[in-house]
Order: sequence, then C-alpha cells, then structure tokens
Amino acid sequence: MATIDLWVKDGYLSTPDGNSIYFWGFSASPDGRAQVPGPHLVVRQGEQVTVNLMNTLPLEPVSIVFPGQWPVSVDGRLARPQYDQAGNLVSFADHAPPDRGVISYTFTPERPGTFLYESGTHPHKQVPMGLYGALVVRPADYDPGDPAHKTAYGFGTDTEFDREYLLITGEIDPELNNAVGEGRPYPVPRFRPRYWTLNGRCAPDTMLPDRVPHLPHQPYGSMVMGQPGEKILIRLAGAGVDNHPVHPHGNHVRVVGADGRLLRGGTDLSGRRFTVLVGAGQTWDLVFSWTGLGFTPENPIPTVLPNRRNLGVGDAGWTMWSGSPYLGQKGDIPVGVVSFNEFGEYYFMLHAHEEHKITNWGEFPGGMMSMVAIYPSLSPAVGTLP
Amino acid sequence: MPALVRKDLWVRRGLLKLPGAQVPFWGFAPSPSAPPVLPGPVITATAGDVILVTLRNTELPVPVSLMFPGQTQVLTRRPATRWKPVSPRYEAGRMVSLTDALDPGTDDWIRYQFRAGKPGVYLYQSGTNPGVQVQMGLYGLIVVRPLGFERPSSPNYRTAYGARTGTGFDIEKLLVLGEVDTAMHARVAAGAEFNILDFAPEYWVINGRSYPDTDRPDYDATLPHQPLGSAVAAKTGQRILLRLVNAGFLNHTVTLGGLHGRVVAEDAFPLASSELDTTYEKTAVTLGAGQSVEVIVTPGHPGEHYLRARDYLRIVNVSSFPGGMMTRLLVTA
Repeated sequence: MATIDLWVKDGYLSTPDGNSIYFWGFSASPDGRAQVPGPHLVVRQGEQVTVNLMNTLPLEPVSIVFPGQWPVSVDGRLARPQYDQAGNLVSFADHAPPDRGVISYTFTPERPGTFLYESGTHPHKQVPMGLYGALVVRPADYDPGDPAHKTAYGFGTDTEFDREYLLITGEIDPELNNAVGEGRPYPVPRFRPRYWTLNGRCAPDTMLPDRVPHLPHQPYGSMVMGQPGEKILIRLAGAGVDNHPVHPHGNHVRVVGADGRLLRGGTDLSGRRFTVLVGAGQTWDLVFSWTGLGFTPENPIPTVLPNRRNLGVGDAGWTMWSGSPYLGQKGDIPVGVVSFNEFGEYYFMLHAHEEHKITNWGEFPGGMMSMVAIYPSLSPAVGTLP
Repeated sequence: MPALVRKDLWVRRGLLKLPGAQVPFWGFAPSPSAPPVLPGPVITATAGDVILVTLRNTELPVPVSLMFPGQTQVLTRRPATRWKPVSPRYEAGRMVSLTDALDPGTDDWIRYQFRAGKPGVYLYQSGTNPGVQVQMGLYGLIVVRPLGFERPSSPNYRTAYGARTGTGFDIEKLLVLGEVDTAMHARVAAGAEFNILDFAPEYWVINGRSYPDTDRPDYDATLPHQPLGSAVAAKTGQRILLRLVNAGFLNHTVTLGGLHGRVVAEDAFPLASSELDTTYEKTAVTLGAGQSVEVIVTPGHPGEHYLRARDYLRIVNVSSFPGGMMTRLLVTA
C-alpha cells in the first residue's frame, strides 16, 4: 500500500526571459516548495494508493481528481462532487477546505499506464494555476532488474524500455496567474498564453537537469537522453487546456499506449508516428529508438551527414553539434561558434509543432521545446523515475 | 422495405436562453408556427431509406441551404425544376454558396434528397455563408439506424452500426458540441456586419445548452428553443453510447468524467467488423470541427461524474464556473 502526501501551496515560477509568475502547486512535504508539475507519482497496479491532501490556500477549497481511476473513495464511501449551499457545483470530488483543510483519497489502480492527476475544484482556474501532475502505474509484474519485465504495460506487451521520461505539457497566461495572486478578477475570455511548458519549464530551462537550485519550483527537466538502439519510453501527458502536437524532430516514435491503455485490443493498434497530438487531459506512451543517420552498432559511421543548417550553427552563435560525424568524437566547428556539446553526443529537438509555442512571449527559442541527446555511453541511472 | 422519410424545415429566428444571456439565433423549425430549435430537429431514418428534406425560409433576408456531410449523391429541386445533383453556386466567378440555395422572396421551397446508405450519426448544416449561418445555429443531426434496429430478433437490434461492430447499447445520448459568440449573434441578427476575425465565443454548448441547463430534462418548458438535455442516468454495467458530434468551428476535447470509454466509431464509420477490431479506450477524446466520435462507457461502479470539456476554460459561462460544456453522468447500483 502506498501513501502519498501532497500539500497545496503557492509560489513564483521562473521563466527564461526573467519573468516571475504567481502559481499554485503541489508539494511533497510540509516544508517543501510548491512545484509544477506536482510530484511525479509512481505506484503499482493492484496496490492500494492513499493520497492525503493538505490545503494551505487561505480562500480556495482544493480537490484532486484522478482521471482513469475509479472508484476513488473518501472516508470509506465513493468520492462525490461538492456543491455550495445554493446548489452550484464547486468541485468534481470531495475537497479540502481552505486554510489547512485536509482530505484523503483512496483507490486501487486496476491497470498500468500513464495518467494525470489534477485539481477538480474551480478547474478553470486551479488547473491553469498549476495544480496538476502525472501518475505512473507500473504493471503488477514490473521488475526493473529483468529486461522482459521492465515494461510499461506488462510482460509480453511489447512495451519493454531501457530508460523512461515523463513530459507534461502546459501553458501559462502570466496576466491571469498574476491576477489571481493579486486578488483581481479572473477574466477567462482574455486567456492568452505567453509561455508553453514541458514539466513546468520553458526552453532552454527544459534542458537543464532535474532539481537545479535556481528553479526551486520547477524541479523536473525534460532532456531525453539515451544510447543508440536503446528503447526509450516517453510518457507524454497533456495537463494544460490546449492541444499540442509534439515530436522528436526528424525521427519517428512507436505509439504503444493512450490514456493509460495499451493500444492492443482485438488488434495491435501500436504504430509509428512522426507527431502525436497531446490532447488536453490525454496521455500517450511512445517508445523511441535512435538508429538515425544509418547508424548501427556494427556501423558507427553515419552514412548521411546532416546539413549544417539543421545543426543550430548560425545566427544564434552556438551549437549543440559536436563538429564530428562520428558519435563520441568531437571535431572542428566554425570560428566564433560556441559548442555546448560535451563529448560527441548527438542532439536533436523535441518540440511542439505549433511553432509559435516554441517561444517565450514571442521570442524564439523557448517554450515547449527540449532536446533528445544520444550519447555514445550513458549511465544507467539516467532516465529513471522514482 | 426502404421508406421515404420526409422532413420539413423552416428557417426561423429565435432566442437562445444561456445562463445570464438571451441570444438571438437562427434555427430550423419543424413547422412555420413551431419554435426553431438548436440543434435542428433530429432526422431519423433506417439505412437504405430515402431522406427528402424540404427547406423553407420566410423570415431571413438571406439565401439559405442545406449540406449533408457524409452523404453521397444528394439531389435537389425547386418547384419549377427537376431533380439534379447538388452543386456549388457561383456569381460572377465568385462562390456564393457551397450548395444550391433558396433565395429570399423567390421560390416557396428547395428540396434535397439522398439515400441514407449506411448507419451512423451525421450533421446537416447550412452551406451558404456557413461562417455566419452555422454559428448562428443552422445545424442539426441525422441518425441512421441499421436495418432491424427495432426488431428484437435481429442481430442489429439496438446497435449503432449493426451486428459484430461492438456498438450494442442500453442508453444512447446525442451530444452536439458548439460555441456561441453573443456579440456576433447580436450583430448578425440585427443585419449588421460582423468581422469573423473578431470571433470570440464566451458560451460553450452541448445540444445548444450550457451547464447547468444541460442537466435539465429534454423538452424543458423553460428552454423552448433548446429541447435536448444531455444528462445521463445509468445503472452499473449498462452500455452508454455517447454520440459526440462537433458542430462548432473550434476543436473540442471532451473528458468522460474520469472514466474510460471505448471509441467505437469515428465520422460515422464503425471501428470494428467481424474481421478486425480497431476500437480503443480513452479517458478523453478530441473532436475536430465537423467530426464525430462515438464512445461506449460501461461503468463498473456507481458514481456521480461530469462529462466536460477538458479545455477547462470552456466549463464556464463567460468567466464563471460552473458552466459551459459540461453535463452530469449519474451511475447508480
């Protein structure tokens, strides 16, 4: 049985263009900071989960709903919507009252997969304010020590993986968030997002490691790292209100799951895709394997050299390229260009394909963008969830 | 025996009742004295039937027409002409209608006819100046039943698409999605110009209603122009067929209240046959404008859920929660 404690708190998000935006988030401890997204929750199929919610917001009740998990119980009965005395709907589930109210949810995940959790109270405000996160349910037979049982959906489901990443999409209208912080009205029709986020961060912060000290409220990075030929499981979850087409640039993925369900009913519906539409409230499980540019373990020399214009060498004055066509080697780069390449790894973008979303308040590069990095060798500790 | 299904539709002006607003709209009425309704009257037929729709307009000073997305070989005629295939209309080289239209002050009526070849749920909508007229409310639904739908001995009995398509159901709900820009409605109804670039809806509707009105029963006396509710009451184990159709201009994501449902049909094509089952399960579905997605939810446990737009900025009326594109699903033991 797993017990998870979540505190609802407020704080300020940091964006790469220097903005500071009021938000509400979940924290994993009473002394911890609010964070976006909320803590990644990793549980096991068939094992009961209890989530205790402590609400420190002074004025707003808060609840959590777990789409795809039902029944959810509160105090030994089914969770149920909450209405005010006039009969107006307030919450989709029992809520923790404002100012240190507490509520406790219990459920048993019946099936493995990737799911969201989010506020069910005033969701037009609380979800864009940051009260969301993701829930990963391991299959009952999950065993990270056995490759055949290190899977997204269980033994024999063709969902084995070597590394895994959880990327949660969202968007922020700083005007609306700050209006909430200052107690001003929240004019929904004026919603105009200026920032598009992966795991609560905008590029280039998305490429920083987890838990960098200067982003105390945005602990999760979104850099996808692996070795050639590895199976990299990318769990995409759409926590925002908009739909976002996302893809690893120039590469295909194999879609194996949707909304926490293996895409194999009567028929195997898994298949290769260039881009998936991360719809609001929906999740996708993708298995990605880099064998690009003709690379095979037997033939480490790429057979097709990328065009320099695709390598980020140009006006930006910097590149992620190693300067060498050989994985694991570095070579010459043009004079005056700064290389952020560490030791001959190969980078390509992973980004929202609505290109205005890869900006920070209109400035490229930014927003919903990160990199996929293929290393000649990489510690097995990289690309793991708790 | 295939039947001839006749339907008369009058284009009329009406007043939508949305929470906190009365909004003029254009709608289809079943008779010249009946109120126009949103969505338009449901046309029900059996696969193989011929549907014959007679469209009349004595109120609006603009040409009007009907289009039938998903139907083939649609014919049209007027009082003085013979049947001919529908075709777009041009004036001075400029398209003025996507299909044959009825001009105000000319003929009494225009007719459209086609064979409803296969089962499913389909839109009908205006094909003339649709950027204005569809938003004003000129859309409705056609439900085509498989042969034997009402005959208990038939393998197609109470299925959406016939035997072996996995579409048998106990409860059926039509859910037509849309959005309403009140400023646009007011201007268009008054005959004023409206710049479609200013389109900014602030009401989000299921069957023409915004929550909490969605929760009211069908044919509620307080909503004469919006006769269809969308609340669902079911018992555990019942198969609830949700027939989602997006009649709006925007894409809408609908979440199934936290439950999983099985997607059984898209754009009136079933995803399963006796050879191949390509149905899949989702907690939410995204519908592009004009598309339909049909989902069967079979709740295993009791519970009170809200089917809702997952763009949570659309479960408000203007700015206030609760409202908008949301309706209740109540499951009892």
